[in-house]
Amino acid sequence: MLQPYIPFLILLAFVIVNAAGMLVLSHFVGPRRPTPVKLAPYESGMPPLGSAHQRFSVKFYLVAMLFIVFDIETVFLIPWATIFFGSGATGGPGMGFLLIEMLVFLVILFVGYIYVWKRGAFQWD
Amino acid sequence: MKHLQTVDGSDSWLTTKAQSLFEWVIKTTRLDKAVNLSRANSLWPMPFGTACCAIEFMATAASRFDLARFGMERQAFSPRQSDVLICAGRLPFKLAPVIRRIYDQMPQPKWVISMGACASTGGIFDNYAMVQGIDTVVPVDVYVPGCPPRPEGLLYGILMLHKKIKGEDLFDSSLRDEQLLNDKGLRLAPEQIDEISEPFGNSVHQFRSA
Amino acid sequence: MNASANALQATFGNAIGRVIDARGETIVYVSPAKVRDVLLWLKHTAGQDYNYLVDVTAVEYRDRERPLEVVWNLRSLSTRQDLRIKVELDPRGELAVPSVVDLWAGANWLEREVYDMFGVTFTGHPDLRRILMWETYAEGYPLRKDFPLRGRFSRSEQVRQALNVNPEGHYSMEELAIADAYDELPRDMRDRLARGERDKIPNSE
Repeated sequence: MLQPYIPFLILLAFVIVNAAGMLVLSHFVGPRRPTPVKLAPYESGMPPLGSAHQRFSVKFYLVAMLFIVFDIETVFLIPWATIFFGSGATGGPGMGFLLIEMLVFLVILFVGYIYVWKRGAFQWD
Repeated sequence: MKHLQTVDGSDSWLTTKAQSLFEWVIKTTRLDKAVNLSRANSLWPMPFGTACCAIEFMATAASRFDLARFGMERQAFSPRQSDVLICAGRLPFKLAPVIRRIYDQMPQPKWVISMGACASTGGIFDNYAMVQGIDTVVPVDVYVPGCPPRPEGLLYGILMLHKKIKGEDLFDSSLRDEQLLNDKGLRLAPEQIDEISEPFGNSVHQFRSA
Repeated sequence: MNASANALQATFGNAIGRVIDARGETIVYVSPAKVRDVLLWLKHTAGQDYNYLVDVTAVEYRDRERPLEVVWNLRSLSTRQDLRIKVELDPRGELAVPSVVDLWAGANWLEREVYDMFGVTFTGHPDLRRILMWETYAEGYPLRKDFPLRGRFSRSEQVRQALNVNPEGHYSMEELAIADAYDELPRDMRDRLARGERDKIPNSE
């Protein structure tokens, strides 16, 4: 049953061993000569001014979060689409039922979309 | 082998024996050569291109002369991920602390190629604003002459650096020591800097003032 | 010959020196006291409209008897005329001319360059400091004829000064003030600035 996955698992094991091995080997073989200038942050050769932790606007977080939500919705649409045309053939629920089910799902998320729109989360400025 | 040192900081008889055995094994199985080979054939350059030589460097990295086949696949514009600093172009005094800082921020092992006449000696710019050779500021491994050097010339310099790296002793830790500035803030003695910055060639005739 | 030259002579009379027509370009010499009025008139008068300041530069001739000239290259975009205004200064005397930053904003950096290379002070300039050489450059004004080609300090001294400049010497006072306002200035930089040691090179005798 799991026969086709064996090459993939071998590859996975090889990748993990390779990457870990590179890190471990460079830890032992690599020369280590820390100096204060070397450990300072890189700022194109200039002495660094100010901290690297800048505050930035929350709208990036909003956009990312909204993207995730609607992307997951799209992700759910895809496996549904693969079984949609074959539905009803082997005695399962028919195409109409599947369609209604998916439409209910989309309507719920659509209501959320309208809410976000009206709240102005899509306005960048 | 620092964790195997004795209380007074020196290596015990056993650890020196273990170290020399380890070294003998690595050298006999030529693993040190393998390490040198991998270092040489995967040099990621940090192109510190300031002027015309940078254009020739770009030409060398482009398809006709292709640096990627020599392992310089990725031009690392951050010193943190680079092996060799290629200074391509003239260096003004205003930029000297910048290249020094970038060189200091490169992790070991690191090498420097001085590409072109201006980076090697100041080139045609023997004046108040230009550093007369970046070796007054950073230690240089290979000098590539030319104004600008042809891509074949730069490739020859890179292959010369390969040869140097392949001839390095893996167990010579002094090779990988940081070459810092001395307490006066210079890399060389002032007399040495003055000597290597002296005008030569046609520059000798150019001294006009007052 | 540019028609502006005649108009200038008619308007300013004695303040205008010689007018030269060289290879199709018009050069007008103006007395230093009236040069700002001349430039203002050239910009604002209806027929002249020299709204583009192409360059501000200076010339010191090899013949040391000739005066040092400060040159303004003007262009009128609407009438498509070029004009060159020159002022003669005594190279051994005090070099000062009025600034035209309020007339042409581009003059800001152009005048800074002339100050950096020749030492000509532009009175009324909002931010007159060096632009090509570093701000604390102490060897003089490089394009003067009495400035030696390779600078006044020895090469080792030049390298030492370049490598040992204080970290805050890399930034302009404006950038340092902004960083200070956001409390982002490292402590040692702040202390050195408070003590006024931005220019000081450590390890100096």
